[in-house]
Amino acid sequence: MSGSAKTDQLRLGFMETIEVDGRGHIGGLLITNQNGRPLEFQCTTPVRANRTQEILFGETLKPWLLGELIGSTLLERVAIKPSLVVTSDPCLLELRNHTQVPVAVAETAAGKGAGGTENRRLQLGGSVLRFHDAHHGDVDSLQKQKHLIPDSADLQEPLERVREALAETVRTVFAR
Amino acid sequence: MDADGAEGNAAELQADSLESGSEVLLPQRPELLSTGFNPALGRVPALETISTTLGLTLDFVPSWTARRIPLKCIGLTLPEGVEFLPPPPVKPEGTAETKKAAAKPEADVVDGEAPKKKVTRLKPPPDALSLQDRLFYLLQPPLESWLAGQELIMPFEPFSYQYEGIAWLFSSQSALLADEMGLGKTMQTITAIRLLLRSGQARRILLICPKPLIPNWQREFRTWAEELPVVVMEGNGARRRMLWTMPGVPILIANYELMTRDLTEIPEDEQPKFDLLVLDEAQRIKNRESNTALTARAIKRRRSWALTGTPIENRPEELGALFEFMEVIPKGGSPDLRQLSKLAKKYILRRTKDLVMKDMPPRIDRDAELELTDAQESAYRIAEKEGVIQLNDLGDSITVQHVFELVLRLKQIANYDPLTGESAKLERLQADMEEIAASGGKAILFSQWTKTIDWLEPRLKEFNPLIYHGGVPTKQREPILAKFKQDPKAHILLMSYGTGAVGLNLQFAGYVFLFDRWWNPAIEDQAVNRAHRIGVKNPVIVTRFISKNTIEERIDRVLREKRELFELVLGEGDNNNRSLSMSASEIFGLFDLKARHKDGARSIGPKPVSAGGEAA
Repeated sequence: MSGSAKTDQLRLGFMETIEVDGRGHIGGLLITNQNGRPLEFQCTTPVRANRTQEILFGETLKPWLLGELIGSTLLERVAIKPSLVVTSDPCLLELRNHTQVPVAVAETAAGKGAGGTENRRLQLGGSVLRFHDAHHGDVDSLQKQKHLIPDSADLQEPLERVREALAETVRTVFAR
Repeated sequence: MDADGAEGNAAELQADSLESGSEVLLPQRPELLSTGFNPALGRVPALETISTTLGLTLDFVPSWTARRIPLKCIGLTLPEGVEFLPPPPVKPEGTAETKKAAAKPEADVVDGEAPKKKVTRLKPPPDALSLQDRLFYLLQPPLESWLAGQELIMPFEPFSYQYEGIAWLFSSQSALLADEMGLGKTMQTITAIRLLLRSGQARRILLICPKPLIPNWQREFRTWAEELPVVVMEGNGARRRMLWTMPGVPILIANYELMTRDLTEIPEDEQPKFDLLVLDEAQRIKNRESNTALTARAIKRRRSWALTGTPIENRPEELGALFEFMEVIPKGGSPDLRQLSKLAKKYILRRTKDLVMKDMPPRIDRDAELELTDAQESAYRIAEKEGVIQLNDLGDSITVQHVFELVLRLKQIANYDPLTGESAKLERLQADMEEIAASGGKAILFSQWTKTIDWLEPRLKEFNPLIYHGGVPTKQREPILAKFKQDPKAHILLMSYGTGAVGLNLQFAGYVFLFDRWWNPAIEDQAVNRAHRIGVKNPVIVTRFISKNTIEERIDRVLREKRELFELVLGEGDNNNRSLSMSASEIFGLFDLKARHKDGARSIGPKPVSAGGEAA
């Protein structure tokens, strides 16, 4: 599951997507150590569903596009494999169905309680994470590494960095 | 169509043809077109059923399969940082040296939401063009969390303007940090260096500072970055040669003199290379053609930072020398004022206490205008009268040096009468010190002369004075400062402007005495700021001794007028760094003499004060 060489190290993945006007979605994955220091970053080129995909996927379009397509691509591409992927977008939980890496939504106070059961939640650092309903072992496996995350760690903050990096990428590369 | 309709149409067609005189169309009779369809309608249809099988394959089957569309990715691998020494074991609580991890949130989750803290994000430098370079900065954690005791322990929580300074330095290739004295340039620089090393942006750093400040830098590194190995350039030539080129030394500290001496001797192809070169008290290279400036500019490095609280001591052009070192202007370039101002906005970060430390206890300045004692008065008048006569006798051969010597002589008498030892200043000082000592306070006294300091020492015995001037060997200086800080009976530290004015942290002293006046208030301010700086908890009372009706009063008046006259160089709110040194004309004017030398506008103050040199 983890690409970490040392057992006292935890690699965290932070994944976000943003919509680029008229060009679809791009996604980014930042790998950090347990203290939030960045180690690797990957982002995709924009991808947009065609009309057929829109019709056939219906409500499952976004989870497929963001979770399976963008999420899996990013996770396959990073050289440093994370022990956990954190996101703010519940659509990206779909990624868990295509990888062995636990995927969790970092909940805000407003979003807390919106779906999922309590036994799918885990307090990690200063954040509450909600895991995929169908993958029961994720919370337990993370419990064992919980001590590696400092209590003061804010797991929402790196997601902000990813969004900023994606916006910068759009400004620099794609907005031409 | 029925038959009547057809006939009607035919008649109309014929009538139209007649009117137009063209050929007549014969109507087609319906019976000629009979198909037998109408009778067929009356017959019963014949039906027959047959059996057949459906085909197993279809000719056309539309199909769609959900397939992964290959996506392109843009990647960035961030460099591995320098592995730091493991943090020392935490000392048991209650010991004086136990450090608190700064910036740790008081409560991680309050009602489900982490408390909001101000964060300082790193911004890509304006000259970073590639996406990878820009992303590197954007992907770094906010400084507050980076320094929040996770990897890098900070002994004290920095102020927000210090976070900004650290972030600015971290993302600058060329930077001049010109914060006013006392705002923590050292700490900001050390922390930015720490982050550069930690993030793999630098592996080898050279810091050049005046020799007396080396122990200060070592101490500050121990305080702010105890995990960083620091090597000081010292020893004989062979050892130093080895240190200059030895790999695996993250931080090398050398003084200006050794830098100039050693590096000019090392052949071009063996010159050491650095990821970062920091010049502390960078005004030392303001003379572009000096060996110091030439050597500093020749050092191979990727980043160039300069630190000074007085980026302009006399003329705005001095900035040009610093900009040339920072490689933001071409070699020998002389930017005009407009260009300097533009460059300053981009490459200089300067904050004043007035702007950032609104809650800092105030500095209270008071001028002690003292009447000379009778013996002093008599000695002074005689010396002045004879001196002026001598100057007049010199006629055209008079130089500014002659006048200057008289000024110094008179200033010395204003301090004390060498014949009788009478001193109005000493009397006042003793009176003030009794009060300060009684309340357990500490004071720093500055004088231009080591001789005056040595003269004062035995006369202040009851206050256990300590001496810190150029005559004190470097190795003995740190223990003196430590004793002054720790010994409750040591109430006064006697310092020379030259040695004590820069780089020292003495914020536990609540009183500063300027026993005699320096030629440039910016230097006096530097001296005062040894006490009035970050960490000061109480107001600092600064007493400037001025002997009435003497040269001191006249010098003070000239300096005050200049302070008011000169325009602010580095923006509003800046009350330092003006061109305040006295010119030759002004020195001549002190005795109603006119400058008779063509270089009358030349500044003739003593050599610029530096931490390494004594003024007198």
